[in-house]
Amino acid sequence: MENQVSANEIAVEADASDAVAENEVSFAAENAVPPKKKKRHINQQKLQDNIWGWVFCLPLIVGTVWFVYSALIMAIMLSFTGYTLSSGSLTQYLANLGDHIYTNAAAGSSIDPVTGALISGGEATPEPFHWYAQIFTKTLPNIGGSGLAMHEMGIYLFNTVFYMIGIPIGMVLAMFFAVCMSRDIKGGSVFRVLYYIPCVASTISIVFTFKLMFQQSGVINQILGTDHISWLVGNASWNSLHGKNSTSNFMQNPYWCQGFLSKMVIVIMSVWKGLGGTIILYVAGLSGVNQATKEAAQIDGANAWKIFWKVTMPDLYPVIFYNIVTSVIGGLQIYAEPELFLPNNNAMVAGYVGLVYKYGIGGSGTSPAAGAAYGLFLAVIIFVLTLFQFWLDSRKKD
Amino acid sequence: MENEIRNETVQTPEEKVHYSSFRYAIGAILAFFGFSNKTHHASQKRAKLVGDIFVYIILLFGAFIMIYPFWWMLAGSFAYTSNLQIVNGGKAVLHRLVWWPDQSTANSTDTGISLFYNYKIMFTKAFVQSDKSNFAANYSYWRALLNNLIYSIVPVVVGVITSASAAFSFAKINWFGRNQVFFFLLAAIMVPGASITSTQYAMYTELNMTNNWSVMVVPGLFGSIMTAFFIRQFLFGLPTSIIEAAKIDGAGYFRIFVSFILPLAMPAIMAQALLSFMGCWNNYVGSYLFIRQDSEWINMTHAMQVMSNGAYSEDQGPVIAASVMCVLPVLILFACFQKLIIGSLMLTGSKE
Repeated sequence: MENQVSANEIAVEADASDAVAENEVSFAAENAVPPKKKKRHINQQKLQDNIWGWVFCLPLIVGTVWFVYSALIMAIMLSFTGYTLSSGSLTQYLANLGDHIYTNAAAGSSIDPVTGALISGGEATPEPFHWYAQIFTKTLPNIGGSGLAMHEMGIYLFNTVFYMIGIPIGMVLAMFFAVCMSRDIKGGSVFRVLYYIPCVASTISIVFTFKLMFQQSGVINQILGTDHISWLVGNASWNSLHGKNSTSNFMQNPYWCQGFLSKMVIVIMSVWKGLGGTIILYVAGLSGVNQATKEAAQIDGANAWKIFWKVTMPDLYPVIFYNIVTSVIGGLQIYAEPELFLPNNNAMVAGYVGLVYKYGIGGSGTSPAAGAAYGLFLAVIIFVLTLFQFWLDSRKKD
Repeated sequence: MENEIRNETVQTPEEKVHYSSFRYAIGAILAFFGFSNKTHHASQKRAKLVGDIFVYIILLFGAFIMIYPFWWMLAGSFAYTSNLQIVNGGKAVLHRLVWWPDQSTANSTDTGISLFYNYKIMFTKAFVQSDKSNFAANYSYWRALLNNLIYSIVPVVVGVITSASAAFSFAKINWFGRNQVFFFLLAAIMVPGASITSTQYAMYTELNMTNNWSVMVVPGLFGSIMTAFFIRQFLFGLPTSIIEAAKIDGAGYFRIFVSFILPLAMPAIMAQALLSFMGCWNNYVGSYLFIRQDSEWINMTHAMQVMSNGAYSEDQGPVIAASVMCVLPVLILFACFQKLIIGSLMLTGSKE
């Protein structure tokens, strides 16, 4: 018994964080204790480590595998099928994936929602890439009451990209305020807290408030003295900036400036809401900038402007790069703000994710299979864009 | 005397330039505001002072823009919007509002109108008046508030503990395949949430999790990878000798986790818990997508959306009161723990 305790202690010592040290100590233990017993004890310690290590992170592994990885695999499988919520059990449906490939029935024929088999009518052709084809081919008739048909994905992606103009604006503003805050002034941390408040507030409260503030007779127009601007009329374009009736003539209002003002309000709101987080990121980055280099530059006669661009910015580059990558990933997934401004995935404002939920989740006529395909396309876009950014980053370093 | 010497050293006689009196005056004004120029020299102290004042003005202006919508929200919740006597009904009161509503519940002489009239209406009146069979007609805002508390306390408390246990395992226990499993989990954050939501919706529907509490609670119970990641980073800073000492004294891993890791990592755990509490409290999309709007299990943000489209689409005072109710608890929490939260954000370099 005593022997076991001492061996245990040795084993405990061996459990140092450094693996090399562990090996050394265990060799030392080999010399000290009879080999047979020693081996069993050390294995026991390792067994304990292995068991408890797995036990402690089991919940997280289960959660991630269940809610992320299995969902991802099922999404990939689903996207080739015609699954709807009335098709019965999802797992059984996917187990017989071969029988459930999306079939396109000719006009006048119908398909059994459970088996996917043709019930009546003419021919049915399997179309595994039906949903993917729909992403690229579907057009929306009658955009904004104009009678013009437009490419659906193009519209929604355009809206998403439009909202991204908020990213550079927010970055420049945040950098400006962060530099101001990192001056040696009293109460800098108070400002940091005040600027972060919009980040913790709920999106819907803020959207509701902004909606009322941007009414035609609302406070923003009162302050700016621009009573003729109707910010939130769905398809009001920038023609209403100089008081023209915006919806009258479609040709004077090409699509890309339809809903311009509503989109601008969303951009203003998201810049306002996200500013505090970026400022904190930059303030943290600025406090890590090497002071010695700054002083050296000052002694060499560089002015503040030059020091900022030549000393501070290169040091801040990793922070800025991280911010761009996360903002682009987040910006491509914008959903709640446009949906709350103009509901029901309105083509005037909704981003691409609105399209995912329009076909994937909701009332009758929606299919999780379609949502899976649309979502996977989004995942591919995000992945490619992120890779592209990292490629640019690596090229810059050379 | 001293001045003369300096003048001599700065401007030797042969390169002395005569400035016009106008240029000289401008130089003096510039120097007063801390800008050194050819005619006048400004002290560093003056430059710093002027710069500080300039920065304060900018920061105060920015802070005003950051805070003003919240003030507007608060003032709007005291607007007397159900007064139908005025032109355009209650909407116009809110549209005119800049600092304080001209028709406020505070100074109204109508019977039954008290200062917190909008809050009272919000808590007592049904959301949707037309259909008596659904939740919105039968339950008032209290139920949504209760749901919100359940949705944000249960998953956060349990989830942070499971995340911390995973972090402990990744940081302090040597087990076979630890790094591989860690990167396997970390890779999951690359999957965009929106691209698997519809599949999750099908999954939840099959498991009968939609339209009740479980869809908002169960996924959070398993912890989150980012939380585990940040707590793991914190645990790397703790000395391993504490754990070894505990082991020598005969403590098992579970005991070590409960009596050493949890208390020692409390700052990191609290910061992560507060941040995820705020995220859960404000979770609108989850409730909007997975819970029908006439269900009794919708949360506060969703309830607010139902209100603004339903019974209150004309009389919007109570909706603003509801939005204040959404924001206020989070703001109070943030005010109490701002040091912890901001410190954690600056340390981890994350934005939310």
